[in-house]
Amino acid sequence: MQSPTETSPRADGSRHEPGSFRDPESRVFYSGDGIYRALSQDGLDDFKALQATKLFERFTADGRLVGTELLASTDGLPAELLVKDCAGVLQHERIPFVSYPYEWTFSMLKDAALLQLDLNLAALEEDMILKDSTPYNVQFKGSKPVFVDIGSFERLREGEPWTGYRQFCMLYLYPLMLQAVKGVEFHPWLRGSINGITPSQMRGVCSFRDRFRKGFYLNVFLHAKLEAKHADRGKEVKSEVKKAGFKKELIVANVRRMRKTIESLTWDPPQGVWVAYGERNSYSDVDAERKDEFVREVVTSQPWGLTWDIGANNGRYSRIAAEGSKSVLAVDADQGPVELLYRTLRDEGDEQILTLTMNLADPTPNLGWRGLERKDMAGRGKPDLVLALALIHHIAIAANVPVAEFVSWLASLDTALVIEFPTREDPMVKKLLGPKRDGLHTDYERVNFERVLAGAFDVERRERSQSGTRLLYFARPKGTGAPIDLTQPEG
Amino acid sequence: MHLLAYLDPGSGSMILQILAGGAAAVAVTAKLYWNRVLKFLRIKKDDETAEPQTTDSA
Repeated sequence: MQSPTETSPRADGSRHEPGSFRDPESRVFYSGDGIYRALSQDGLDDFKALQATKLFERFTADGRLVGTELLASTDGLPAELLVKDCAGVLQHERIPFVSYPYEWTFSMLKDAALLQLDLNLAALEEDMILKDSTPYNVQFKGSKPVFVDIGSFERLREGEPWTGYRQFCMLYLYPLMLQAVKGVEFHPWLRGSINGITPSQMRGVCSFRDRFRKGFYLNVFLHAKLEAKHADRGKEVKSEVKKAGFKKELIVANVRRMRKTIESLTWDPPQGVWVAYGERNSYSDVDAERKDEFVREVVTSQPWGLTWDIGANNGRYSRIAAEGSKSVLAVDADQGPVELLYRTLRDEGDEQILTLTMNLADPTPNLGWRGLERKDMAGRGKPDLVLALALIHHIAIAANVPVAEFVSWLASLDTALVIEFPTREDPMVKKLLGPKRDGLHTDYERVNFERVLAGAFDVERRERSQSGTRLLYFARPKGTGAPIDLTQPEG
Repeated sequence: MHLLAYLDPGSGSMILQILAGGAAAVAVTAKLYWNRVLKFLRIKKDDETAEPQTTDSA
């Protein structure tokens, strides 16, 4: 195993992907604009076997498998980034923004699970298998799951079991069961452990009644029991299993059974979310239209690469942002509306808007080995434009983050910004301030906000809503725009 | 077992797959337990793939 600390970037920006070091047969690195995978001889043989399959052609053509080609030569690639005894290098298509399962909604994790199983079934038909089952091998292009770890395919070896079964349970099945059956969101569990939920942990949260639910008895109860019983019999069991003759049909039967179990797991957001999904809060129609127009004008004023819509809710502005951005990240702390947005986008076949659920006041941290395997949001790619609409009052009042602190974080992203400021007279702000002691959040006030904003950005445009309680601003990073004077009354 | 498999399949998880395989598993399960019976009755010895016994028994 190579250490991810060997990833310090070279002068030209070439570096290893620090999350790719567990599999000795293949390792991902970046060079220039490209994303590459260095393979050992075994890894290369497995890739050539995969390349010759029908599934490779079929799944690549419909975009469920990441675009991949074997390079004819490694000339020009930094030699020190190739694996030891590197036998070949693959070049992959780039995914606009890398995301992690603890940022996905229920249906996203479920769709990734089904893709994983479908690929495995297709692979088994052609005497190959996926050697692991981690959702970190699936990424989303908009609402479309794409399997990215080509190195996971290997030739099926007679007598071997489905090695990834346990991992599949821990990172897909149990988290989905937890949310579908227990009503417990899986995100803190997956964020809390990079390996997921163990069979005995899952057994611990199940009741007697659960053993009669589809898939629970075998995959949770019996699994935990057998694991405890055979914990120290690794070698013996392997030889027993091999002698008993572990056949391909057995793996196929297990994968098919798992597919049915996953299919049966469902989760819906609470009723109130459905109702609110089609609506908009505390806006008159005129104000709503003006806000749409303001965002649209900014978004279409120039081509943008990646836009983050933070506090995206039902994705109305993510969709407007998509009119002028290559790709859009729609992030909201509340999983409900994000789940509904994902379902709508999936039905539309959208490949531009990536929906994620994350609380900005408790954001995705750096995780894994040396804190380098999984990265925080900005570490995965900074945006070119940020939309922070109807958000600051939640961050400042509900989450107690000082206004100056929030604006300073936005400025650290070094991007253009559309931000909305609801004044203290706004009904939603009043509601949030309601339960708080008088005299708190004195910094949440228009003049202070504008002073802070103008200190961190070049504010180019400001507009007040007809209702008078909401203001919209467009700003560029300090020193890159033509600032207006915010101390003058808005035009 | 393939030497380069980098993921531990888990002993309990492997046995479970045999038990859970439905119709495809019947013959394999029968063989798994039949081998255990033979071993218990000492009719069949561990074959040469088994680990050699160490002498330093505690």
